[in-house]
Amino acid sequence: MIDTTRTGIDGLDEILNGGIVGNSTTLVSGNPGAGKSILCLQFIYNGVEDHDEKGIYLSFEEDTEDLQEAAESLGFERWGDYVENGDIKVYDKQELLRENDFSSSLDLLLDDIEDAEYDRLVLDSLTMFELFFEDETEKRTYLLKFTDILKKNGLTTLMTNEQGAVFPETEIGLENYLTDGNIYLIQTPTESGVNRYVWVAKMRKKNIETDIFPMEISQGGIRVHQNASAFSMMSEDESPL
Amino acid sequence: MASVDILQTLGNKYSAEILDATDEPQSAQELSDELEIPIATCYRRIDELTEHDLLELHDNILSDDRRRIKVYRRNVETIHVDFDESLTVSVEERSGVANKLDEAWRTLSES
Repeated sequence: MIDTTRTGIDGLDEILNGGIVGNSTTLVSGNPGAGKSILCLQFIYNGVEDHDEKGIYLSFEEDTEDLQEAAESLGFERWGDYVENGDIKVYDKQELLRENDFSSSLDLLLDDIEDAEYDRLVLDSLTMFELFFEDETEKRTYLLKFTDILKKNGLTTLMTNEQGAVFPETEIGLENYLTDGNIYLIQTPTESGVNRYVWVAKMRKKNIETDIFPMEISQGGIRVHQNASAFSMMSEDESPL
Repeated sequence: MASVDILQTLGNKYSAEILDATDEPQSAQELSDELEIPIATCYRRIDELTEHDLLELHDNILSDDRRRIKVYRRNVETIHVDFDESLTVSVEERSGVANKLDEAWRTLSES
């Protein structure tokens, strides 16, 4: 039986046939605004709230206050309390980039990781993390080493990835091959606003639904709709191509 | 006077060559053979450079005849010497991020 980590996101765990594989690394890709950070906030928050699993949230994009505001605006009222009592450990951009150097905070982070106290980790974003390495070979080597360190220390990880193109098929980076799971968040503009979709393209060791499912972001975070046929991704007038 | 110390260490015969050669980890013997440095001098230079954090002990590897061999890697990318106002020598270290991940990963595979 494969150890599964539930995201706690309505609909997503069903697509994933129970959840994300435990001690694995999953890449969450999408355009800016597609909901990557929201999915990650939910993953960490639900871990504490429903499963008594502590989490580490690394953000190169935001600081602690922004994250808390974002969480609270989604209805995760106890985010601040969890950060306060240590159930959620936040490394925000100010801490991570202190002294212009990620390496001093990496020491602290590696200590936390090796503590075995935490079960979930978010890296927002992998795109920023990779800037600390010089070339493709280094990026590849250190992404593998980092995911290995996370895995061996019992952490189930989500990493976000900035995606330039609307359709993920057009741009598949090395990161997609080097991670255990790939989740794409897709948004397409419509006359009335934006349609959102989620596509789980890959999850090692799991039998998953690989269709594209509609989702929405509202109070309570992301909700994925199971009924794919009710929303047609490729309806003539809305096709983004 | 740390700045002057660093410059003196760098100025010693073979120091620059050793740093140049230790992009990848090397043992004292390898450096001595490769750069034609007398082995005693080689050890002395390695000690001096390590003391000033310009070179670091990277690992203790096992040789073919099952002895532990110390290998060293340079710890520095660039050095700036600035004479404006007062003499300052600033040492830009190699990416600490890569070094630390290497180290954590190595401990992982040993345990």
